[in-house]
This record gives sequence, C-alpha cells and structure tokens, in this order.
Amino acid sequence: MREDCERTRESLSRWVDGHLSVSDAEAIRLHLGGCAACDRERRQLEKLEFSLKSVLVSDVPRIDFEPFWAGVRERITKKPRRREAIMEWARSTFTPPALAWTVPAVIVVLLGVLSMDSFWRSGWQRNNFAAVESIDAHGRNIALLREDETKTTVIWLYQNQEGEDESSGENAETNPSF
Amino acid sequence: MSLLGRMLKRTLLFSYCLICLGAVHSVNAAENSSQTVRIKIGTILANNQGDEIDPKLNTIKNQLKVMKYRSYRLLKEETQNVAWQGNAVFEIPGGRSLVVTPQEFRNKQLALKVRLQHGDKPVVDTTVRLNNGGNFLLGGPPHEGGALVLSISATAQ
Amino acid sequence: MESSDWELVQKCQAGKIDAFQELVSRYHQKIYTVIVGLLRNREDALEVAQETFFRAYRKIKSFQGGSSFYTWLYRIAVNIAIDSQRRQKRNPLDFRETMDGLFEEQNEVAKDPFSDVHDRELREKLVSAINDLTPEHKAVIILRTVEGLSYKDIGEILGCSEGTVMSRLHYARKKLQQKLSVFL
Repeated sequence: MREDCERTRESLSRWVDGHLSVSDAEAIRLHLGGCAACDRERRQLEKLEFSLKSVLVSDVPRIDFEPFWAGVRERITKKPRRREAIMEWARSTFTPPALAWTVPAVIVVLLGVLSMDSFWRSGWQRNNFAAVESIDAHGRNIALLREDETKTTVIWLYQNQEGEDESSGENAETNPSF
Repeated sequence: MSLLGRMLKRTLLFSYCLICLGAVHSVNAAENSSQTVRIKIGTILANNQGDEIDPKLNTIKNQLKVMKYRSYRLLKEETQNVAWQGNAVFEIPGGRSLVVTPQEFRNKQLALKVRLQHGDKPVVDTTVRLNNGGNFLLGGPPHEGGALVLSISATAQ
Repeated sequence: MESSDWELVQKCQAGKIDAFQELVSRYHQKIYTVIVGLLRNREDALEVAQETFFRAYRKIKSFQGGSSFYTWLYRIAVNIAIDSQRRQKRNPLDFRETMDGLFEEQNEVAKDPFSDVHDRELREKLVSAINDLTPEHKAVIILRTVEGLSYKDIGEILGCSEGTVMSRLHYARKKLQQKLSVFL
C-alpha cells in the first residue's frame, strides 16, 4: 500500500467525523477522488456509521417522561437504607483516581515507618542501652548494672577499703542495694 | 492502564523516591558525624537524708530507681562541645574531674572514652558505646554523706 | 425564554426540585438511548437511566460548571453503565431475543424479502460485533454515533484525552469493519 493511502486510511475516521483541518480534509478528498481502494474504504466506513445509527438510535424506543420522572422522584424521596448510604459514601469517596494515589502512598509510608530502627525502639520503650567495651577501676570493686525500664547502663564504683579521703557519713546503709 | 496497574506503578515510584531520600539522609548523617560532639554531664547527689527527687531530674527519674537511694539532688549541669578525639574536662565536686573523649561514630552509636580522676589519680577508665543522644550513669564516689552520680550523655553534632 | 442548563442547575442547588425535573425532561431520552447502546437491554437501561438522574441530583451541589451539564451527566451515566456491564452476566443471545421482540412490536413488514433477511443478519452481526468491544471502545462508538459528541466532549465524559478518543474510535471502527466486511 502506498504511503499516502496508509495516511488516508488512518485519517478516514476523523474525516468522517469532520475533525480534520481544512487543508488536511481537502488532501483526503483529492486522494479519494483518485484512489478506488481508499474510496471503497470510505464507503464502507460511511455504511458502517449508517448501520450503527440505525441500530443504536432508530431501534431505541421512546420512553414516556412522566413514568420515568416518577421513578426518579421515588428514588430521590426514598430514605436510603443505612447500608446503601454507606455504600454511596464509599463509592463517592474511594473513587479510582483517589485510590490510585492513596493506596500507594499509604503502602510506602508504612514501609518507611516499619523500616526505621526507631520504630522498634519507639518513645514509650526507648532503649538507652550502652555497652561497656572496656573498664579499669584501678583496683576498686565495681558493679555494672542495667535499669530494667529504660535499659540504662549504670557503672557503680565501690569505695576503696584503703580509702578515699572523704569518709562517707553513711556506711553500710548508704551503700545502695541494687 | 487498570486501577491495579496504576497503583503498582505509583507504589514502585514512591518506594524509589523513599529509597533515594533514605540514601541521601544516610550520606548526610555520615558527613555530619565528622564534626563535633556535645557532651553533657549532670552531677547528682544521692543520699537517704530526704525523700525527694529534684524536679530537674524528672527526665532521668526512672534511670535513678536502680540505685535505691531515697533522695536525689542535681548539683550542677555542664555542657561542652568537643571535636572527635578531643578531651572535654569537667570539674566534679570533691576535687575530682571527669575527662570525656569521643572516639568514633558508627552504626548510630558513639564510643566515648571516660576517665574519672581524683586529683591526678585515675579512679576509673572506661570505654562505653552508647546511642546518639543517649546517656549512662557513673556513680559511687562519696560526697557529703551520700554518693555522687554522674549522668554522662553525648550527641554527635 | 427557556432557562439554560446552568440556570436550572443553580436553581436545583438552591433546592428547587422542579428545576431538576426540567433538566430530566431535557435529557432523559438521550441518556436512555446511550445506555441502551451500552447495555443492550431495555429494562436494565431504564433502571440505569433513573439511577443516573438520582445520582446527579445527589451530587448537584458539587457541580461547579467547569464542564457543560450534559457532559457531566453523560459521565455519570457512562460510569454506571460500564460498572453494570462488568457485573452483567447476561448472554448476548438474550439480547437478540429482546431485539427480536422489539421488531415484532414495531410490526416491521419487509417490502423486499431479500433486503429484510440481509438487514436482519447485518443488525444481528452488528450487535454481536458491538458486544465484543470492550466497554471503553463501545462507549466512544456510542457517544460519537448516537450523540454526535465532539472528541473533546467524549474525552471529558470518559476522563481521557482527545488523542485517546481518536485512537479508540479508529480501533473500534476497524474492528467492526473487519467483522462486517461481507455486509458493508
């Protein structure tokens, strides 16, 4: 098939609908005048349109307005059942365009939150864990403790028997029992 | 494109943006770790001479419970910014001093070298790895009828 | 002087149901014709047409006049019809029975027996070919052929670009031509 035949057949639909520019429409008309094959294609398309109109328009009965309006009015005045009202609300809120944006955004936000370390150590269970990598108490006794709730590390130095300079006013009872 | 197709395409697109943002954030975080460290020391007197916990200690009240003293009072609080490997020196009551040296920042944790000394004599040397912004407690040195508790916290700037 | 659609819509938005009645009287046949084309069943089409106006009434306050009232109304009708079509489990043969009934009601008398048989066969094949199109392709054919709407209006109704309307029309017509080549 020649290139201009192919171009013509691609544009025939729009030509039949009158949606071509004046110059393009004129070019098609001139081509159809000189090309039997494309002109046959044009006639087929026009016959198709005629047949479609015949089936889709002429065969459709006329409906009386009054009974139709009565049906519409009945729907308007009828109080919707709770379930129908909820369905109607859902249908108008969760439209495909809204869902097409909302659902991916929610999925990605959830993935982001779950992948954050701090989520697993969130505010109410904040882990204040500290690891003691090395310790040298220079001969003193020490205790390493961990507070249960916040997991805070506590390094406790016991008093050296030989003594620091100060003496504590409170002896045994001031040594905290852990 | 069908609704499912559009949702899938947009999920992949948003995920890609999230991953890129996360990567940029990580790079920035790594770059930020090479600047300074803010060290904060809270000096607390713990004893059984009263039944009160200083309201200024509300944020660490739960941490102090493990020591079973009845009274805790904040004597002073001091903050210093120090470079990595630099020494931050804090005066501690009773002729003592605390030297804190931030070593490194890795996996969102800081490693601190801490030395408590009494005059020139070292009392304890320790290296502790803690969460950025977190703290640990170093206690025991006697003071005014009770014991000192030092809350040592560090935040990479 | 006859009120424009927009004037009637504003009256509806103010709560005047008689203004809505006027709008229904203007468009009920057109809407019904389009829906029959999409659903190929008279009873279902009547139901969907009434539902269209009911939903339009419920949503009338959200209509801002950005598009024309009739494209907004068609959009509601086409969406309901396409949803209904997807749920519909009827066999296309049922349609042929219904349409045959229509022909009998209208007492068609053929002048030329050959042309009558030929026309019936063409209609049957045409209906079957239309039913084989996807709902979206069927919708563009019907809106263009039945209502003579512009590509721009069709695009607004179906929520797609003019280019998409053009390509769907071209594709749908090509498909129909291929199936009906013997008759055309």
